[in-house]
Amino acid sequence: MSPSDPREPAVTGPAVTGPDSTGPAASVPEPTGHAAIATAVARPRGASGAALLGSELTVLFRRRRTWAMLAALAAIPVLIAIAVRLTSSPVTPGRGPAFLDRITQNGLFVAITALIVSIPLFLPLTVGVVAGDTVAGEANLGTLRYLLVAPAGRVRLLLVKYAGAAAFCVAATLTVAVSGALIGAALFPVGPVTLLSGDTIGVGESVLRSLLIAAYVTVSLLGLSAIGLFISTLTEVPVGAMAATIVLSVTAQVLDALPQLDWLHPWLFSHYWLDFADLLRQPIDWTSFGANALLQGGYILVFGALAYGRFVTKDILS
Amino acid sequence: MTPRNFTKWLPAIVIPAVIAVGALAVPLTAGAAVDLPDKTPAQVLALVGTSTVDALSGTIEQTSELGLPELPTTGPTASGNAGAASALELLTGSHTGRVYLNGPDNIRLQVLDNLAERDLVGNGSDVWLYNSKDNSAAHVTLPAKDAADTDATTHGGMATPEEVAAKFLAAVDPSTTVSVGTDGSVAGRSVYDLVLTPKTTGTLVGTVSISVDSETGLPLAVEVTARGQEKPAFRLAFTELSLGAPDASLFTFSPPAGASVTEQALPDTTSLDKKDAADHATMKAEAEKFLAGVTISGTGWDAVVELPAGSVPAELSSSPLLAQLTTAVTGGRVISTALVSVLLTDDGRVFAGAVPSERLQAAAVGG
Repeated sequence: MSPSDPREPAVTGPAVTGPDSTGPAASVPEPTGHAAIATAVARPRGASGAALLGSELTVLFRRRRTWAMLAALAAIPVLIAIAVRLTSSPVTPGRGPAFLDRITQNGLFVAITALIVSIPLFLPLTVGVVAGDTVAGEANLGTLRYLLVAPAGRVRLLLVKYAGAAAFCVAATLTVAVSGALIGAALFPVGPVTLLSGDTIGVGESVLRSLLIAAYVTVSLLGLSAIGLFISTLTEVPVGAMAATIVLSVTAQVLDALPQLDWLHPWLFSHYWLDFADLLRQPIDWTSFGANALLQGGYILVFGALAYGRFVTKDILS
Repeated sequence: MTPRNFTKWLPAIVIPAVIAVGALAVPLTAGAAVDLPDKTPAQVLALVGTSTVDALSGTIEQTSELGLPELPTTGPTASGNAGAASALELLTGSHTGRVYLNGPDNIRLQVLDNLAERDLVGNGSDVWLYNSKDNSAAHVTLPAKDAADTDATTHGGMATPEEVAAKFLAAVDPSTTVSVGTDGSVAGRSVYDLVLTPKTTGTLVGTVSISVDSETGLPLAVEVTARGQEKPAFRLAFTELSLGAPDASLFTFSPPAGASVTEQALPDTTSLDKKDAADHATMKAEAEKFLAGVTISGTGWDAVVELPAGSVPAELSSSPLLAQLTTAVTGGRVISTALVSVLLTDDGRVFAGAVPSERLQAAAVGG
């Protein structure tokens, strides 16, 4: 069973009557759906972990839903760029999203503006859908028990599910950044970039900084993914887990905006989301990158442990 | 729950506990007791005087809890009173900034705002101000320094730091107790804590504490605590500091493409032509007239400054921002903060001081 086996997203999963985990994978007819993973799980540890991850990623990125979400994310910078391009009046500095006025001077700012616009809602929305679906989705389709045929498979499955959600975080952020850079380069002049400090850097370094920002945003979403994974182990209704994850991300941002709760702010996973602007200073201010990574790491540990506690003690009936 | 299941939940209990302990322990270790050789206030002041640090890069954090309402940083009021509001905005709330120094001429200050930054770059006679929010830059050319003047301050007959320290202590002695508090650490460096405590009880200021780096004598933090308060009402402190010359490119600035650049001239006293001289004279006369109207009653910490009627511009006194900040009292409107009170009387006079507002009202009635 290679990770690239064509498998339809889960719709065909429940049709499988049972796992065929005894025979060598090559000699049996191709099992479809997630039952295929069960055969992979029965292999020796290291190989099966990689195979399971490959299979998870294949399923994730073959889903039409995943592509639809990535397409929607890619459309954000395109919409911004076209809107700015079509308006005749120059954008007043200081109005609209940050950096909007810079776009006409330099197309590379489209990606940054699009990231600022999509961080509060669009990115958490898509990440919430993917993370909330991880375990609950399998449970809902009745494929979860096939995934757990192998002994000690639950921890590995949880790790693989989280890795899949993390991979989507990378893909989502890069989609916004790359589509923004492309549409910006197509519609606007590209040249040296003015940093927040007023210094100017060349195109090469600005691409490097954009990648750093993409890394920052990806890291920012990892905590939310861990929360989504935990919620996903609580229920068999994927929509419920998705909605709960998204609602939590909005709630955290609302709490972050209330000055009365400022003792709580450094503990909210959304607190540093917009601080990636520190990467646009000269010299780069790494403080927020470090604080954000530490915070997200804490969320991953806490909610990873909660998900572990829940998932390994759970009765899996479907 | 069976015991076997309980062990599965252990990580979910242990990890948050470890994180909580870590979150509590890290600030404690950072503030661990520092024991430096004892020094008298005069010795600490002399240490400041002998400080020779002229190159550094660091991060500064400023927090104020003056009891003022948070000023809106966006919206019409912020842009309407740009000058006054941004000055007030810097004094209230919290700010993080970075400072880079190299020698007496090269300086860079950065106020790190949310998704924006305000910069001040100075190299030699050029000073640039840059605001990323509206992509505007301002350029000021400083008059060339008088070489003889510099010489006089650096070499000519300067008192030694010890003498200056002694003079300062003698001067403040009637009003202030100067002591050295517990040694602490600021930005990872051990510091002496110089504490100024007003002798009078008539002022709002409880203590002023200055943290002085034990190695270099550089002041690293200033805290002003209001009387009867635990937490400082105003604090300005380094959170990171490294001594050594910062990258030279930080001190060069050319306005970025597309920025609106304004050239601001300083009134240059050496090259005034006649018209300017006349202007200058009237300005000077006005300033003198203004200063003549200012009366200071009392000395030391509980002094009250009185400005004559008409010294507040009408557009400021009628500003909605001011109405938002002040509360009405008999005889006028009062801005009271944890450290300073300002009374705007109905007849236009202004009283201010680091005293409770009742004292200002008494002064207004009495004067």
